[in-house]
Amino acid sequence: MIRPSDMMTVALARLLRDGETVFCGVSSHLPLVAALLAKKLHAPGLVLLNIPGGVDPEKPRLSRITSAGSELWDSAAAEMTLAQVFDLSMRGGLDVAFLSGVQMDNRGGVNASLIGDWRQPKVRLPGGAGSAVLIPTAKRAIFWRTKHDRRTFVQQVDFLTAKGNVSDVMTPLCHFVACQGELLLNSVHPYTSIEEVAENTAFPIRYKVLRKTTPISDAEVSALREVDPHDLRSIEF
Amino acid sequence: MNKICTMAQAIESIPDGAMVAIGGNTLNRVPMEAVYQMARQNKRNLQLVKTAGAMDIDLLCLAGCVKSVDAGYVSYESQFSLCRYYRQAVEKGQVITYEHACYTVICALRAAAYGIPFMPVKGLGQTQLMESNPRLGHIQDPFGGPDIAVVQAIRPNFAILHVHYADQAGNAMICGPVYEDLLMVQASERVIITTEEIVPDNYFRRQDVKAQIPAFQVEAVVHAPKGARPTAMPFCYPVDEAEVRAFQGLGAAEQLSKYLEGRREAAR
Repeated sequence: MIRPSDMMTVALARLLRDGETVFCGVSSHLPLVAALLAKKLHAPGLVLLNIPGGVDPEKPRLSRITSAGSELWDSAAAEMTLAQVFDLSMRGGLDVAFLSGVQMDNRGGVNASLIGDWRQPKVRLPGGAGSAVLIPTAKRAIFWRTKHDRRTFVQQVDFLTAKGNVSDVMTPLCHFVACQGELLLNSVHPYTSIEEVAENTAFPIRYKVLRKTTPISDAEVSALREVDPHDLRSIEF
Repeated sequence: MNKICTMAQAIESIPDGAMVAIGGNTLNRVPMEAVYQMARQNKRNLQLVKTAGAMDIDLLCLAGCVKSVDAGYVSYESQFSLCRYYRQAVEKGQVITYEHACYTVICALRAAAYGIPFMPVKGLGQTQLMESNPRLGHIQDPFGGPDIAVVQAIRPNFAILHVHYADQAGNAMICGPVYEDLLMVQASERVIITTEEIVPDNYFRRQDVKAQIPAFQVEAVVHAPKGARPTAMPFCYPVDEAEVRAFQGLGAAEQLSKYLEGRREAAR
């Protein structure tokens, strides 16, 4: 039985390339593990950037409580503050930013702000953190969400926190890619089906070629255990 | 000049309605002892400024101290989840959120630090933050480029930071991540430092690594060992999880004074 948290982490890691600069922000354990996994497997030169400003920490012992703490700073060789990481993205130097939210539409619009009307929100959410400037400026903004249901993947977001260069969307069920401004289904994970994806998605599912996500290999399993022995990739589930 | 004073004295200098920038990030190196003191002193209508806040903003909302929050993110992150008191206060209309991208808080503080009224910000493309946050706008590029988003300067009346070392004059040093603390010093009118340790005069003069915060910009120094608890202080102590849970479990403002009294006892 493949766990969705493992499948998502591995599939996200596969999207990262050697030498890329990759930013993970607050509340981002799953993509953080994905970036460390990619470094371990096929992207040793990947440069991890983060909120505490530790550039490319070496084998960090991640904290369950935060993905913005000094554990990402301690083993870094250089410092680049959050403000400088944002600056990097603004001038076109950030390859990948990982971001999440509670709603997404099929044009890649993200809501991480509120439910209802912004003048008097029914539910106040944490907010988009860096999304509003990173999604439009990072070369690739990769969206992950550990819930895949009709309240998350909606026809229209209640509030548009950010929109821009979303390139990929990873969920417990599938992987969407952005194609000319529209999210197309790229692959469904091995343990599910297009029917299940469609049932749980409020916008119409469209695709060019339908694939199954490549199952997790033995090498990926053992590397995953090594970089995340305490299973922090699963805490959002 | 000796600027050492008690926490109560330092916080008494903050009037109701003040705009206050709080150092640290989420549950990391937050000046919580100072936050407790603001709640004990029943501050009203504070305008809080932070890129990413958690228990600090949540507690001050529960205590009824807050008028508005300028922030990009307010949550305890995944493990401890949403700031329910903040959320309830916003949903009831008691607290106004000026939602930012974290970067627009940084740019607003930079504008203040640079002494200019606003700052162009790249990247704010398609986002309703432009409508919902009155501190954001657009201007024409006088040099013929496309219009660009701007953020109004945010010049806090106070910055409150918790640091590792400070001398009695106010020279101060943070070890580990600095977050936006050093920018807050430059952007704010007045700076209150709370510190784990008071170092002797001339301590920094003999070091290879200097204090990042110069004394002349600091108004008050409070010796507050464990002053970031229950948030984490790098190299000193981790997050006190039981404490965070105890606070989250209070449920109502009536329970808060007892909780704050308990924190006073614990600090003795």
